[in-house]
Amino acid sequence: MFEALARIRHRRLRRDLSAYLDEMLSPGARRRLDGHLDTCGACRQELAELRATRGVLSDLPLAQVPRSFALAAAPQPVEGLRPAARRLEFGLRLGTAAAAFALAVVVIGDFAGLPGGEEEEEAAPVAMQRHEGEVVPGIVPAPTMEGEGRVFAPPMADEEEGVEVAPTPEEAPPELGYAAPEAGDIAEEEPTPESAPAPTGVEVPAARGAEEVAPEATPAPPIAEEPAAGAVEEVTPEATPAPPVAEEPAMESLISEDAAATPEAAVAEGEGALSREDVVRWLEIGLGAGVGVLALSWALVLRQVRIRAQ
Amino acid sequence: MVVADEGKLIESSRQGDLAAFNALVELYQRQVYNLCLRMLGSAEAADDTTQEAFVAAYRRIDSFRGGSFRAWVLRIAANASYDELRRRRSRPASSLEAAREAGTPIDLASPAAGPEEEALRRELNLHLQRGLATLPPEQRLAVILRDVHGLSYEELAQALGCSQGTVKSRIARGRERMRRYLMARRELLPRQFRLEGEDSHV
Repeated sequence: MFEALARIRHRRLRRDLSAYLDEMLSPGARRRLDGHLDTCGACRQELAELRATRGVLSDLPLAQVPRSFALAAAPQPVEGLRPAARRLEFGLRLGTAAAAFALAVVVIGDFAGLPGGEEEEEAAPVAMQRHEGEVVPGIVPAPTMEGEGRVFAPPMADEEEGVEVAPTPEEAPPELGYAAPEAGDIAEEEPTPESAPAPTGVEVPAARGAEEVAPEATPAPPIAEEPAAGAVEEVTPEATPAPPVAEEPAMESLISEDAAATPEAAVAEGEGALSREDVVRWLEIGLGAGVGVLALSWALVLRQVRIRAQ
Repeated sequence: MVVADEGKLIESSRQGDLAAFNALVELYQRQVYNLCLRMLGSAEAADDTTQEAFVAAYRRIDSFRGGSFRAWVLRIAANASYDELRRRRSRPASSLEAAREAGTPIDLASPAAGPEEEALRRELNLHLQRGLATLPPEQRLAVILRDVHGLSYEELAQALGCSQGTVKSRIARGRERMRRYLMARRELLPRQFRLEGEDSHV
């Protein structure tokens, strides 16, 4: 017990040996260490070795300079190319961050059951087109993404794109990753309020299929992972508050607000209702891929800048 | 050079007076060069890095806000050395060569010394350089600036851009590593070191 305390004290005081050598200890600390040195041979030895170490280092002569380093001419204040590359790098970094943020907003909006207003409308037609011939599970890339100002690899490249995103930036993966599982969770948890023999939408395709097949039949089973605002409004065109879907009060109020505030949205929904979640899905895919491409080009530019810096 | 003169030179340099700046270069080039030499372990790299540091110093002279000019200029040299070390790391092909460089003896011919003494000095120098190369760069920098260049803790805080507490602990850790490194090779070291090392009454 006593020994253990002494050992702790020894270890703590030992750390002060270097400053002791430089006479940079406070008077109190110096006195404590002095007292310890009187009784501790190991510390005395170590102090001597440290002193010798310092001694040989300070005995090192300074080498002569091989030449004069005086500047022949005043250096240019800046070198042309590097700042430009730096700016490009900065812009790309900003763009990546912005895209990642937008993606986060869309994903969060997706969960909260708040389809993003204009984004949705501009993307809607495209999504509709794709929609007709397609019972295929979600996630086919392409034309939609042109909205992002990025041209993309052929379909199916998409999933790779997603994967590619993973190693490069920090932003993208988390969002993409957590979108899927949570959606699943919600779908499973949803106790399917009233009605509906519950096709219990397990996944996107299932949900979409159901809606597609029967817009009028079975009042929109609240299958969807997202509270499927579209479906809800369809059932109750007069915009009754409190849609049956939501379980969280917050979500409820948000949705009802949405429905009440924009009556014409209901009309728009009439056409776009089926694809609302697709639209969100597309947005997520598009933004996710956008983030990937931006991050990738950012990484490339950054590398260029670094290389040039050499 | 008197401090007042130095202040004038700095002032003129700020106004773009190249001759004044070059006078400062002459004053500090030996210290800057030696810092780079010890940090990088290669004369060639030290030459380039020293020049780079003075170019950077000229461009950034406006950012000198008083205090020790030596510490300021050594900080720029330290940053230039860090950049060089980073570049080496990002060039994996040459990292081996860099590692070898870092451990090569730096030729410090001392004409006054006899041949035997000269041999001992070279050997010690070799071990010191190799030992320094094993330290993490920030500890290496602290030890070099403190023990080789003799900066005060205050100047060190300025040169390292950190608090005196951090300075103290970096020096302590760096010296501790150097001590272990040298003690592990004490039989290879000059007698002077061994004798001092064994003497516990200091």
